[in-house]
Amino acid sequence: MRVFRLLAGVVLLVALGRGWAQQTGFDLDGRAVDPLAASSGKVIVLIFVRRDCPVSGRYAPAIQRISKEYADRAVFWLVYPDKNDSPEAIRAHLVEFGYHLPALRDPAHELVKLGHVQITPEVAVFRNRQLTYDGRIDDWYVTLSRARPAPTTHELEDAIRAVAEGKAVARNEVRGVGCYISDLE
Amino acid sequence: MSVRAYRPLGIAVLLVGGAIGVRATKPAQHSQAPASSQVTYNRNIAPIVYRSCAMCHRPGEAGPFNLLSYSDVKKHARQIAEVTQSRAMPPWLPAPQEATFADELRLSEQEIKLIQKWVEEGEAEGAASDLPRAPQFVEGWQLGQPDMILRAAKPFTLPAQGTDTYWNFVFRVPINDTQWVRAVEIRPGDKRYVHHANIMVDRAGAARKREAEPGAGFGGMEIRIESQVFDPDSHLLFWKPGTVPSVEPEGMALRLDRGTDLILNTHMQPSGKPEVIQPSIGLYFTPRSATKFPMLLQLENDARLDIPPGDKNFLVTDDFTLPVDVDLMAIYPHAHYLGKDLQAYATLPDGKKAMLIHIPQWNLNWQAVYRYAKPLRLPQGTTISMRYTYDNSAENPMNPNHPPVQVVGGNRSSDEMCHLWLQVLPVNFDRAQGDPRMVLQEALARHNIEKNPGDFEAHYNLAAMLQARNDLEAAIPEYEAAVRLRSDDAAANNGLGAALLAAGHADQAAPYLQEALKARPDYFDAHYNLGFALAQQNDYQGAAEQFESALQVQPKDANAEANLGAALAEMGKFPEAKAHFERALQIDPNQPIARDNLDAVNKAIQEQ
Repeated sequence: MRVFRLLAGVVLLVALGRGWAQQTGFDLDGRAVDPLAASSGKVIVLIFVRRDCPVSGRYAPAIQRISKEYADRAVFWLVYPDKNDSPEAIRAHLVEFGYHLPALRDPAHELVKLGHVQITPEVAVFRNRQLTYDGRIDDWYVTLSRARPAPTTHELEDAIRAVAEGKAVARNEVRGVGCYISDLE
Repeated sequence: MSVRAYRPLGIAVLLVGGAIGVRATKPAQHSQAPASSQVTYNRNIAPIVYRSCAMCHRPGEAGPFNLLSYSDVKKHARQIAEVTQSRAMPPWLPAPQEATFADELRLSEQEIKLIQKWVEEGEAEGAASDLPRAPQFVEGWQLGQPDMILRAAKPFTLPAQGTDTYWNFVFRVPINDTQWVRAVEIRPGDKRYVHHANIMVDRAGAARKREAEPGAGFGGMEIRIESQVFDPDSHLLFWKPGTVPSVEPEGMALRLDRGTDLILNTHMQPSGKPEVIQPSIGLYFTPRSATKFPMLLQLENDARLDIPPGDKNFLVTDDFTLPVDVDLMAIYPHAHYLGKDLQAYATLPDGKKAMLIHIPQWNLNWQAVYRYAKPLRLPQGTTISMRYTYDNSAENPMNPNHPPVQVVGGNRSSDEMCHLWLQVLPVNFDRAQGDPRMVLQEALARHNIEKNPGDFEAHYNLAAMLQARNDLEAAIPEYEAAVRLRSDDAAANNGLGAALLAAGHADQAAPYLQEALKARPDYFDAHYNLGFALAQQNDYQGAAEQFESALQVQPKDANAEANLGAALAEMGKFPEAKAHFERALQIDPNQPIARDNLDAVNKAIQEQ
């Protein structure tokens, strides 16, 4: 009996780690979720954040404003790429920052690769599984130590509008300012 | 008669020398890796991190994440390589110069290269035996349990979003007798969101009047504090991330009197969620009163700040020649978001130039007070020069206006400033020549008037200093100039009235004192002085009314009671007069007028 249970555990790990890896993150109950699947034709926006990245944190109000404003056209997911972030820690983070968005863990960086993102906070915008924009949310931060009083460009919002209207997105991606995802194992 | 006009230099700001960081490890010989050998965390990187990062990047401190272990550092390795190469981290704005600062937080070129190489080579951990001993940090109050802890009466809730926020907390110091402070530790609330904080000493209860209710605090980036006596600000009490409180040099304790408030001016940045900020201040007392009296000198030229939109290199200067020898202890340059290149240098009497500070890329977020490693001797005749440039173009990302607009000097964060504070200790002076700080203040006031004849405060302060020296002939025209500039200023009108009164022109004094009372009906000094002026003109009824009004403002003033008694006695109202003399003596048994007059009035009553 004991031996059987142990084997089942191993099988499950393999399943999570390999079989389901393609285009999926994990929700906070540990279920594999493909955020690009259930979109009913809407634009999909993945927003990559790190709990230990102060720039990610400062963007929370802007992320919430944008996700509310474009709720009719787009579906938003927060993606946490740090494999050491437990579901409990992420839940606490969502409550602390007042987020009302679904969150995914991306411990193997599958969504990071899919979205071509490098930094938190950056976003990846999809339609019909096609990546149409990846890069910064806006130009608020210039370097880690210099931020504008307010952003003067709005790349994420421009991309959502363009994709929703079926227009081509100018692929002039500018990387975000914040924390490197590649520093995470 | 007491003339109570004195209100010298307004602006207080600043810091107790902010020692920066805990030096837990010596600059490591470990970090000198031969170019050929592999760079490892344990051998090469940990010593740098322990010395230059860990004091802020640890629990409870300002750093947004910990940098205490290999895994901590690896988790931010590329980011660290980037921000050290750009010298954004560790935050240290001044360029290298001959006059070094205490606790410089600058990485060497070698250290920066090592970090680059470590990341390029794959961030190896290395041999455990190479890892130096971890830094030991003092928990809690850094200098031990303070003698007195002041906690902000009400917390401030920092909104989740918005621009930088400036808030002032007023701390009432609950002491009955004068105390001497040898050290101050500022705990700014949550260190992650407070960018800097400095304490102003308010000896006149000026700031608390701005609170909607006691303890509520008030907003504002820059505040001005007036004082009643010649008591120039002397200490720079400043906190920024990594600051470890330092003990004032021997003999330079800060005086705190009953009724003194400490105002903590804080600069905060929203974090993305609401934050509750409730600072506290720890005071460390010493039984030894001060024997050395530093003061803060301010160079500025805000009147020249009128920066056209698009101007990338707008220069503002000020040059002040020292009238006495001083030791320069600390320096604090200050501009807002358009500040670009800030420098100050000294030209010594022999023509030699010494850089005092040069910040090639100003960043308000990391402003700081810089203490010199060794005080810098600047002899009489040295000229201190301030050279600040401003970038009001769209290329300056910190520009608060988009698109840029004309910007002038002012207290709001969207206005500009060009201030340079220097903490100086006068040396080699002759006591017989008077207080050298007074000499400095007078020279500064004259300099400011020359620079800007419309500088109300300079005229006022110069007048007050001349008056304090009893040079009424010189003081009166300066007060007149101040009143011309601000005809409705209560203090200036009172000062002019008081000076005229002291010079024997009671008739000329009265209208100015009345003007002062129009501006500020509950102005004790003006009621008192007007009462005196009317008494001089034999209007005892009018005088009595003024002294009564003065007593309504300050019921326990022995001088006003004695003078009220005198006015009533002059009118023949002896029993009433007697009552006031007795009250004056209850308040102050040594009040000389009341004592003499009480004898006289008793005799008069007997004679009746």
